[in-house]
Amino acid sequence: MTADQVKKALASAVPGLEVELRPRPVGVRTRVEVPELWAEIPREGLVPAVAALKAAGPLHISVISGRDTGEGIELLYHFAAGYGTPGGEVTVTLRVTVSKADPVLPSICGLLPGSETAEREKIEFLGVEFTGIPSTAHVFLPDDFPGYPWRKDDPETAKLVNRLVEWEGKNG
Amino acid sequence: MAETQNVYEIPIGPIHPALKEPIRFTFRVEGERIRGVDIRAGFAHRGIEFMAMKRNLIQTLYLSERICGICSISHPITITLAVERAAGIEVPPRAQYLRVIYSELERIHSHLLWAGVAAHELGFDTLLHLTWKVREQVLDLLEELSGNRIDYALPIYGGVRRDVAPEQIPKVEAMVRYYRGLLDELLDAFLRDPSVEARTRNVGILTPKEADSLCAVGPTARASGLSKDVRQDRPYLVYGELGVKAITPRDYGLEPRGDVYDKAVVRLLEVAQSLDLIETCLYEMPEGEITSFPKIPALLAFLKKAEGEGLGWHEAPRGEVIHYIRLEAGVEEPIVWKVKAPTYSNLMSWVPMFRDQEVADIPIIAASIDPCMCCMDRVHVVRDGSPGTVLKEELLRLSRAKTDRVTRHLSPVPRHGGGL
Repeated sequence: MTADQVKKALASAVPGLEVELRPRPVGVRTRVEVPELWAEIPREGLVPAVAALKAAGPLHISVISGRDTGEGIELLYHFAAGYGTPGGEVTVTLRVTVSKADPVLPSICGLLPGSETAEREKIEFLGVEFTGIPSTAHVFLPDDFPGYPWRKDDPETAKLVNRLVEWEGKNG
Repeated sequence: MAETQNVYEIPIGPIHPALKEPIRFTFRVEGERIRGVDIRAGFAHRGIEFMAMKRNLIQTLYLSERICGICSISHPITITLAVERAAGIEVPPRAQYLRVIYSELERIHSHLLWAGVAAHELGFDTLLHLTWKVREQVLDLLEELSGNRIDYALPIYGGVRRDVAPEQIPKVEAMVRYYRGLLDELLDAFLRDPSVEARTRNVGILTPKEADSLCAVGPTARASGLSKDVRQDRPYLVYGELGVKAITPRDYGLEPRGDVYDKAVVRLLEVAQSLDLIETCLYEMPEGEITSFPKIPALLAFLKKAEGEGLGWHEAPRGEVIHYIRLEAGVEEPIVWKVKAPTYSNLMSWVPMFRDQEVADIPIIAASIDPCMCCMDRVHVVRDGSPGTVLKEELLRLSRAKTDRVTRHLSPVPRHGGGL
């Protein structure tokens, strides 16, 4: 698949979406540019965008990464579109930001069941919610784990950090 | 939780000491048949990504190496690719070839490790000992090149830490010759053995449709016939120009069925592929620098000023590894470091693979995705609400008893596939 095909699919699903191409130079004897696409997308656009990517060709989700930005929570959906041909895969990263007051996103498991582990991990670590996810059970943290480790405003996490700093002798 | 009177629940785990993400399976069984499975990971989650937020990037690199002992090249290579992308660091050509050589050596030792574990789960300890004996050769070479059998500390941001010296080249060539001479024997022992075939054919099937929708990676996906290999699809380092092709059972003349047998086919053929790649790199590798930052303080100072975000990806022995990193100028620690290991992607594939299989096939199906597993610690059997404990040995005994049962009247299978 080419970057243009992926861009076109995204543009048709979410009108007005700005997609940034970050070409990645690769190779020694024959330099090629591996396309990386990055886009900031409103949460309403997420499901149509994933549906369009899926319709365009074979779709793989690598993982969802995320962080606490202070005011909100930023999630990055890392996809790779079009596996199966040499150099034919385009990585697509969709950035979705939600407010802490309403940290709810639509689940994409209906379109891509392989994203369930990544979504469930974000529930545990960032305290976000996904509507329509088949299971919200913890994957990595104990069921009674207090707080969300990647949130910066979480008092339980702050306690954990203090203990770590103390243990490493970094507070002196 | 039993749906009918005849459905029992068998939890296995949670602690599997060899797994980097320990797993507990809770099976619902009816007689000898598995009707469903719940999978729960994370019993020894160490919070490595969290720990990195308190460490500088050099410390994080060494932390990344400790995510997994078997993939102790894959994770450092992926984090270096991500950081180099975020900070805009160039990697000298020779270092790119060296990274490929080290990665492929890791693939050989990892696949042979898996083959031994698979043989053990089936009850063929002779084959386990043979496979692990021959695996020593590649570990010896890794020790020769890096100083260590595991945890090699080879990649560094901007290159690698050690070169392959001219006097070491004959040793690499000798290793390539050794495994080439042995491959047919290994294929014979695993793929043309009637007992192995009886225990692995049509067992633990993952259909291509399931592999695609569950986003399976590595040999788990390729055994189902998907042409999915990061080295082929998304070039990085020099893999693009090496012309790597995803290996499926079709390369052995078989129509992919996605069962345990096919997973063995893919892994063994990949050993041969890795040997070719190592040889090519050894001869094509240009002379020159092996890192763009020979002095660590200069590298650390550069990284402290770096700002940006980047992705790094790599085809580890078990499949796609991907790291995302975000750096801010003036901050030594990564703001975000997300690590995705192959088992994370293959976790959901176990659900269809276990469906309607026998209890005695649990060990080999669990091992078939190669979840870095060499032992399951214990099994709880809950029958009519009264829990009892069955040791891992009991499960293994069931598996071996099945091998005895199914192979009693077998005659050798005709050879299929033309070999390599």
